[in-house]
Amino acid sequence: MDSLKKLVNLLLGYFRIFITYLLTKVQGFFLGIYRFSRKLSSLIKTFFVSLYRAAKNHPGSFKKGLSSFFLMGLGQFRNRQWYKGIPFLGIFLIFIIAEFVSSDYIYAPSEISRYPAEDTLYFFRDYGGIITRGVWGFFTLGALTRGDVYRGHIVDTQDFAYSWLEADNSRTLMGEGVIVIVLLAVLMAFWIISIRDAYKTDLKVRSGMEIERFKDWIRRVWDQYFAYIIVVPAGIAILMFTLIPFFFSFLVSFTNYDARISLQSDLIQWHGFTTFANIFGADPAWRDFFLKVLRWTVFYAVVSSVTVYVLGFIQALIIESKHIRFKKAWRLILILPWAVPGMISLLVFSNIFGADHGLMNRLLADTGLTDQVRSVLQFVGLVGREGVGNIQWFTHPDNANLARFLILMVNLWMGFPYFMLLITGVLGAIPGNLYEAADIDGGSAFQKFRYITLPWVIRATAPVIITTFTFNFNNFGAIFFLTGGGPRYWRDDIPATLTGIAPGQTDILISWIYRMAFLSGDHDAYNLAAAYSVLVFFLVATFAIYYLAKLKTFWEED
Amino acid sequence: MMKLKNLIAKTLLYTWLLISVVIALVPIIWMVSAAFSDVRRLGDVPIIPRVREWSLANFKEVFTYRSGTAQLLPDYIGSFLVTLLVAVVTTVLVVMLSSLVGFAFTRYRFQAKKPSLLFIMGLQMFPSFMGMIALFLIFRVFGWLNNPIFLSFIYVAGAIPFNTFIVRGFMRNVPKTLDEAAFIDGATNLQVMIKIIVPLAAPIMGFIAVNAFMGPWLDYILPSILMPNNETVAMWLFRMNDPDSTPHRPMLFMTGALFLAVPIMIVQVYMQKYVTYGLTAGAEKG
Repeated sequence: MDSLKKLVNLLLGYFRIFITYLLTKVQGFFLGIYRFSRKLSSLIKTFFVSLYRAAKNHPGSFKKGLSSFFLMGLGQFRNRQWYKGIPFLGIFLIFIIAEFVSSDYIYAPSEISRYPAEDTLYFFRDYGGIITRGVWGFFTLGALTRGDVYRGHIVDTQDFAYSWLEADNSRTLMGEGVIVIVLLAVLMAFWIISIRDAYKTDLKVRSGMEIERFKDWIRRVWDQYFAYIIVVPAGIAILMFTLIPFFFSFLVSFTNYDARISLQSDLIQWHGFTTFANIFGADPAWRDFFLKVLRWTVFYAVVSSVTVYVLGFIQALIIESKHIRFKKAWRLILILPWAVPGMISLLVFSNIFGADHGLMNRLLADTGLTDQVRSVLQFVGLVGREGVGNIQWFTHPDNANLARFLILMVNLWMGFPYFMLLITGVLGAIPGNLYEAADIDGGSAFQKFRYITLPWVIRATAPVIITTFTFNFNNFGAIFFLTGGGPRYWRDDIPATLTGIAPGQTDILISWIYRMAFLSGDHDAYNLAAAYSVLVFFLVATFAIYYLAKLKTFWEED
Repeated sequence: MMKLKNLIAKTLLYTWLLISVVIALVPIIWMVSAAFSDVRRLGDVPIIPRVREWSLANFKEVFTYRSGTAQLLPDYIGSFLVTLLVAVVTTVLVVMLSSLVGFAFTRYRFQAKKPSLLFIMGLQMFPSFMGMIALFLIFRVFGWLNNPIFLSFIYVAGAIPFNTFIVRGFMRNVPKTLDEAAFIDGATNLQVMIKIIVPLAAPIMGFIAVNAFMGPWLDYILPSILMPNNETVAMWLFRMNDPDSTPHRPMLFMTGALFLAVPIMIVQVYMQKYVTYGLTAGAEKG
């Protein structure tokens, strides 16, 4: 009785600690938000205060800044720094000229009087230039479709006389809108730089410093900002082909865009969080399938990384052991599976396990073992109640576990040599005196492995395990080329809302996304696929940030 | 007793190794056997290659097969050239851009260095096809579909983050005394970079170049979306092996795959000693 009491007390103690821990976490979270908002508001406050101070204490310099605010580059000209003013003004003029050249403003007055709009006139849609029309299109995603009557005429897909009689293509509007908004952000950044520069230069002049000559300025910028300048090309590439696409994906997930929308006859619309709400339970069928796929994705990523690591470790140990001769030859043969490009080996394996002409089934048929193997597989639960004949490795809906098992095996075949090589390298780097010391202390072979080799190798390769995991989480090829996501679910198991875009039983998130967006024909759901991409990103990013936060060496200064 | 124990251990280990070697080699041998056989169906390919019956019929067909009569080049050669273009553009740009970023992060002072490193690290964590829906839509809007150059831009943007860390990991271990001395002698940034840093970093730039060059050859997902009418080699392979496509020619797939795999395998086997670069890049992280 006493011991029971003790146990209960102990458990209660643990529970209390756990709750306190949770509370501190929750508290920390809200405290974080509070602090952040405080910081933000104080930042905004300091901004306005410093603005006010600048205006009060240095009215002259403030006015120079102000003139750059009204016309980019004007402040620089007033500072007599033409070499700064020209580029700033140039950038500004490029935007203005692009807007006017691409616009139809000159036709607007006469046309509006001839063809008045009965209800709403979409002025920027009809006459705006690239920037105004881009911004209009981005927020509205279009207003008129084929067959609408607008300003006394019927809107059609093409109109050679009046561009405003052409039906809106929401996709084009969205694409151009995203680009325009990014360009405007760039303009904004330059604008701020020009204002600050005009103000600061004037301050310097007033405190008695000389205005830099053009030559000196160029040299100073080149020297001081060299590191930034050489990073710019890479930055542009990443902005254009990584960040903007991601931003765009993010936006698509908030629309209703799918294959049912026929452009110019229908409009894409912003519909907020509807897609995400569907995924997370507004529609239980969606949530169930999402969880199913997510569970298999995580399982696949973890198990495939671990098995590959363990087998690679074992092979490295065996080849390095003192019993084995011709180490180099063994190693050379065993790395061949890694040297074959992944896509090719996966496709070859999909042929090996083909139901009809596959190598595996033929081997079994030739040796007469088909039925035995099938009953063994049935016994361990990998094969369902399928009948006679060839074994359907990847195609029978009851054989999902078999397909999953084989995916892991093929992944093992492809992946172990890399870790074998890596760990062989690490083993060679373990200082020999550690083992000598162990020998003197009389350590057994197992102890040496347990307390020297294992910790050393794991510490050296830990980051690679993490990268392998994140790689496998998005290992599209391993699923798509091998099983194509199959076997499919029984048709009865697929709820009506998922018709056409249901995952296969071995699909991981990324291959399901691909299927949803590109392989489902009339059922292609771009918005859903985009929403899942966003989710995958946040899953991976959370993992990455958590992992990064733990690394100390990363923060070391060079 | 000790001897017997050793003998047992030896037998067990050698048996294990032999089994692994067989499992490792069977699919590869089967691929070779299929490529050189002249049977029509994959099911008839002998597992143990019959070298005497080998023929080059499949190779001949791979290099002459045209899906349309109007085509200038056979499908395989055309797709090979397209991929070659992508690979060359990617290699040149990746080496230039990621070395520059790597140098900036190791050799120069920088404001916000840590946040930007963290940012690059985050970029490295998500693959470039994460934005594939958007890429598809953007490419359609701007008419970039089927353009190999724009495809290679995506590979470049995707490769920069990882390679930046590789360069940084390498350059950290190259002493700075040389470039510091040059600065003291009054050399400019550009001179130091071209005459001192680049030669020092040449080995790692070569490593990056080889990797960047190999990357596009067997990437399927991006070209399948962005190059619908301008096939790359990976798309050709997939099409030949896809039961739903016409023609479905697995024998040609095996042959084309072998032809492509052999040079890549040779490079990979040669590059195995550099496998630990991945580790140093990882060690950067850990």
